[in-house]
Amino acid sequence: MRVTSLLGPLALALLLAAPFGLPIFAMTLLTELVILGLFAMSLDLMVGYTRLVSFGHAAAYGLGAYASGYILLNSALPLPFAVLAAAILTGMIAIGVGWVCTLATGVSFSMLTLAFAQLLYAVSFKWTSVTGGSDGLAGIPRNPGPLGLEVLSTKNGFYYFALACLVGSFFLCRALVRSPFGAVLRGIRENEAKTLALGYNTRLYKITVVAIAYALGGLAGALYSPFAGFANTELLFWLVSGQVLIMVIVGGSGTLIGPILGATFFLTLEHQLSSYTEAWALFFGLTFIAFVLFAPEGIWGLAKRYLGQRAPEETEQAPAAITKAEAKPHG
Amino acid sequence: MTSTRSLSRRSVLAGAGAAVAAPSIWTSAQAQAGNTIKIGMPLALTGPLGSVGQQQKRGAEFHTKWINDRGGILGRKVELLIEDTVGNPATCVRKAQEMVERHDVRLFTGITLSSEALAIVPKLNEWNSIFISSDNGDGRLTAASLVPNFFRANTSGPMGTRAVSLYLRETTHKKFFALGLDYAWGHNSVQVFEEEIKRMGREFVGKVFAPTGTKDYSTYITRLRQSGADAVYLVLAGDDNNAFIAQAAQYQLASRMALLAEQLELSTMRAVGDACLGMIVSARYAFTIDNPKNKEFVELWKKEYDGLVPDQFEGEQWQCQQVFVAGITKAGSIEADKLRPALEDLTIDDIKGKVHMRKCDHQGVQQGFVVKASKREGFSHPVPEVIATLAADRVTPPCNKMTYDD
Repeated sequence: MRVTSLLGPLALALLLAAPFGLPIFAMTLLTELVILGLFAMSLDLMVGYTRLVSFGHAAAYGLGAYASGYILLNSALPLPFAVLAAAILTGMIAIGVGWVCTLATGVSFSMLTLAFAQLLYAVSFKWTSVTGGSDGLAGIPRNPGPLGLEVLSTKNGFYYFALACLVGSFFLCRALVRSPFGAVLRGIRENEAKTLALGYNTRLYKITVVAIAYALGGLAGALYSPFAGFANTELLFWLVSGQVLIMVIVGGSGTLIGPILGATFFLTLEHQLSSYTEAWALFFGLTFIAFVLFAPEGIWGLAKRYLGQRAPEETEQAPAAITKAEAKPHG
Repeated sequence: MTSTRSLSRRSVLAGAGAAVAAPSIWTSAQAQAGNTIKIGMPLALTGPLGSVGQQQKRGAEFHTKWINDRGGILGRKVELLIEDTVGNPATCVRKAQEMVERHDVRLFTGITLSSEALAIVPKLNEWNSIFISSDNGDGRLTAASLVPNFFRANTSGPMGTRAVSLYLRETTHKKFFALGLDYAWGHNSVQVFEEEIKRMGREFVGKVFAPTGTKDYSTYITRLRQSGADAVYLVLAGDDNNAFIAQAAQYQLASRMALLAEQLELSTMRAVGDACLGMIVSARYAFTIDNPKNKEFVELWKKEYDGLVPDQFEGEQWQCQQVFVAGITKAGSIEADKLRPALEDLTIDDIKGKVHMRKCDHQGVQQGFVVKASKREGFSHPVPEVIATLAADRVTPPCNKMTYDD
């Protein structure tokens, strides 16, 4: 049995056991990490599998966060339903976004996603009755229920809920990229013209993947606002889009698991560095440059190499050579 | 080449592993709690309101040194935990949460922006913590958004605005315009000002809001000049105040209309120099306030900081720390359940005169001051001279409200 195939169950067991062993603040961090991991993984569907590089994924995060925050503040809808509703809403809006953005390809696609996110950012400032303007939405509750169940509103209960969302989404994404649908996505990534010539309506596939990625990104955002009890315009800012892209690239794009590791690395490094120096962003930037130059396959690729195993040439995994080639344009 | 690369990969991985696996953030820091009284201050030390956060930091540090030299509170030393939030509410919540969960902080002060404070207050009950504001202006904090564990020792935005409007009743300005920062405090104060002006029976011709951190105010100044107003009320702070006043001087705005403001810190007066001369401002604190306690405080401050005088938020922070001292001493504890009743209806007499922390909405009832930026011997820049002191019951709004009835 390969070492890496044992890693998954082991990691899951550790995550499940975490509330019993970690101090309270570490649990706060871990919950945030699970949410960010989900966010980064959702972007990987677009960047890693379809090479639709989005510079505006914050739109999904912010939309989800505002939607669930607004629902939780203004209704008694139980937490899981509110979060789910926000994710679905984000996915539905993303159909329109995908339709517009896929009119273009390459850099123009990226610019359109960025433009859409900045548009939402501007709207969040001005639509005060819904978004609270620059003050944001504060005091977002974790509504109890369903069936009077209060367990999800507790600190650890919420952690398990977020973890369930992450694990569920992971298996969903994995099934998706292993399916014939996923094969078409990889076809688009490698050679869109050829895939089109084979008779696939590539634009439809692209719109679909954008909608799914946004829905899952929206799910992450929808979890974030009841987690922090707070949502503000910063969540829609382009900086967030940049950070999540860094998580994907540093973690290893086209691997699903890599971006989750990237998010872990990002958050931990940010916390560690910022407690030592105010110029933590500088060192963070250097780390990012080092990754792009020396480890384009990301943390997950490195981890596999370190465990003495070449990346397997399976269909669901991106072959190492392609990952490398694809990482180059980012540098 | 190949070997160098693989070596680099390996070292990158090793570094990555060490950074993620070892860090102290995954462990508890509560073990070394000790017996100090910890006060958490998530401050905007950088960003557009960085100068305000820096003043709060200095004010609190000065007081902490002073009180610790006197044996602390209840025989326990005071310890400040200070973190930078850059003025972002989300960061502020995260840093405050870390203070509670990792360092067992139960007392907060100094949260710089009202938007940050509004994000923090819903969490206070869960954290079992008391937060005494030293500078948050938004009236809602002691009205619609009031929570049991929040107290405001400082002059609020509506109170500052009220002080200026009471002063304006004695003047002849007829048409007013307002310019505020585009967040909680700015909107709140401009709204109160508008109502006050209308109640006086004078004309309010318009208002405009600028994002925090605006560098170029020329378009706003053009709008002011075209408004036909003979006085403008500014609700700006920090870098925005500096930028606006400096530019307003270039455009000679003061020759067209009177400049009134809710805030004008000494740091701004130093930065813009004579450009601010003659401005009429509501002061939450000024070193020129005439009372013995304040004179003593200013002398102590000068000794510590090479002859510099304390700025607005340094004085406000001192007063807030004094409320902490009186409350904790009276309660004999820092537990929220004991400290809350002790703070309610507590009165101290300090650098701004009497402050009464009224029970009904946790607002500190205190005098209002109107100052004029004027020349004074011994200073190379304008300083705030107190031109009117307004009674506490005139400037403090009715309980749980942020507007006035008369």
